[in-house]
Amino acid sequence: MNAVHGKALVIDLSTGQAEPFPIPQEVSSLLLGGAGLAAWLLLHFAPPHVDPWAPENPFVVATGPFIGTGITTSCKLAIATTSPQTGFIADSLTSSYLALVLRRTGFDALVVLGQAPRWSVLVVENHRAYLRPADDLLGHDPEATAAALRTELGRDVRVAAIGRAGERLVRYAAVVNDGRLAGRTGPGAVLGAKRLKAIAVRGTGRFPPVADPAGVAAAARRLAARSLGPETAKYRELGTVANLAFFSRLGVLPTRNFQTGSFPAAEALAGERLALHQRADRQACAACTVGCEHHFRTTDAGPEVTVRLEYETLFALGSLCGIEDPNVVLRAAALCDHYGMDAISAGGTIAWAMECVERGVPLPGDPAEWPRFGDGVSLLRTLELIGERRGPLGELLAEGSRRAAEIVGQGSHEWAMHVKGLELPGYHPKNLRAMALGFAVTPRGACHNRTSAYEVDFSEHAGDPVEQLARATARSEDRSAVLDALPICKFLRHCFDDFFAEAAELVRLVTGLPVDADELQRAGERIVTLKKLFNLRQGWTRADDTLPDRLLGPGGIDRAELETLIAAYYRIRGWTPDGQVPATRLHELGLASLLVHAPIGS
Amino acid sequence: MTVEATRYAVELYGLPALLAGKRRIEIDAAVETLGDLARALLQACPQLAGPVIDPELGWLQRGYVFVVNARFTREPTTPLSPGSEVLLVAAQAGG
Repeated sequence: MNAVHGKALVIDLSTGQAEPFPIPQEVSSLLLGGAGLAAWLLLHFAPPHVDPWAPENPFVVATGPFIGTGITTSCKLAIATTSPQTGFIADSLTSSYLALVLRRTGFDALVVLGQAPRWSVLVVENHRAYLRPADDLLGHDPEATAAALRTELGRDVRVAAIGRAGERLVRYAAVVNDGRLAGRTGPGAVLGAKRLKAIAVRGTGRFPPVADPAGVAAAARRLAARSLGPETAKYRELGTVANLAFFSRLGVLPTRNFQTGSFPAAEALAGERLALHQRADRQACAACTVGCEHHFRTTDAGPEVTVRLEYETLFALGSLCGIEDPNVVLRAAALCDHYGMDAISAGGTIAWAMECVERGVPLPGDPAEWPRFGDGVSLLRTLELIGERRGPLGELLAEGSRRAAEIVGQGSHEWAMHVKGLELPGYHPKNLRAMALGFAVTPRGACHNRTSAYEVDFSEHAGDPVEQLARATARSEDRSAVLDALPICKFLRHCFDDFFAEAAELVRLVTGLPVDADELQRAGERIVTLKKLFNLRQGWTRADDTLPDRLLGPGGIDRAELETLIAAYYRIRGWTPDGQVPATRLHELGLASLLVHAPIGS
Repeated sequence: MTVEATRYAVELYGLPALLAGKRRIEIDAAVETLGDLARALLQACPQLAGPVIDPELGWLQRGYVFVVNARFTREPTTPLSPGSEVLLVAAQAGG
């Protein structure tokens, strides 16, 4: 197979040893790379029932075969570890230059094991890895950390770092590189547990050769041209903040902790309004022709803040918390970046706390400091408490909504809006049946990116019968897995007329593998199954595939209908009625031989 | 058979709203289908020509979709009736 190095670098922080690890050819050919490779390496190196905080919990960073090929939007890294939020697979993607330099080290992936004896930076320079003490960097935000390391080590070094939230083991801490966050599922907290402030990489080698350089170059040019068309205009012109007003109009904008799906003040936060009055600039990841990253500036009387803003951040720190002032949302987003925290989980956890206050359920700490719906000052103050784990309220909310509800009790789990411990993103599942199913079953926990099933709901197929809906949800999940494995940005998915067929052609040109559309879809299914297998080994049960009570019934989807959809999804996946993956299915997918060294079950 | 002019309101979201400079456009036109409405919309709001509506086809570019009475559709023969609720939005509704 072309376009792979065929080896990972395994670093044991406890001993400082770094050793190459050969990646079986079969792994690369069946799982492609990126999220598929990361999931396999996690399964391979993690002991069963691994504790997210334990030194034995692997932290994997994987590249994919498309990185460095010139194919637009392909500079992405997949991170996999065990999530401090869910106890299941932590699976997060991040973009930009770090992917390029890691690819040039001569390794397809890094596997970080153990725990550093003291706070450290892992420096990888091509085939060499060493630990640099990080005491001088503690307390720095991720951007300052990266700047300091690049000044010291050289401008060709790229850095992934954690902020204060990762140092303090906030369960939804992010890993930040090149201004992008791998935030969901808390990978930054795992780095914190390993006492790793940052990973700095210099790669000066060659990219692994592709199978058909001329063919790849021509295909890359065609895809780049299509990436500038109307299919991506939304992302270029406005960014995902365009969703907010429309979602409110449809009744699917989570508002005040999912108590409703419409926000009366939606126009104040609308992306169109932000674009007209508060836009600062637009940027793009490395090797991206779309440029979806829109920055907005505050316009209130406070110190000016300019920050990247996406729909998920806008909803989570806006309507979800009842916040009407876009300047407050921008300041809150900047705080999440500063501390290195996932904005969705931060907003979701604070919205849970706001509803506690609204219902008269006492929180720890000074009542004057409790967050309240619509109160921007309290939102910003609470984010600071969480980022520092300061005081009893900061300690509580740093645990995320599920654990916070378990601690506070008094029935507050009923309004803790998570699946498997991961707070829900910005889609109220009321009237979104496919998305409801996707949220319930996706191994990562409630995630719009891993399922993308909203596309089914936002189409002429929204009213399809159960079996078709479940099949479309599964295929959407498979497509997302393939995109995360190659990798290609999901914002490019509509630039393909027939995604699996056209992407298979790209895979053939890059890797030389005789892949067709069916095989590529199977690769996606393998990756989803691997993630599920990891969860099974961690103790997943059928009860984990569900939605919060609030969303089951008149305020969301009928409980019986969701169960029917889940049953259909399991059938389509070839799983048992209780969601187990039979050995026969592993053989059918070609996975059985890949799992010899990663036994499933306890 | 002639179709009498009827007033339709089309709500715009995302880039269509930015281009038009407004959230809502009211159209008085003889309209039976969504295809008729797209052409009438082009007349009423020429700023949409190109990025959103193909002026030669008189129909939406690939990246856009109508929502008619809460149903997503790109089918120009979709019948409309007075009182139909019509939204125009980018097809990539998520992100």
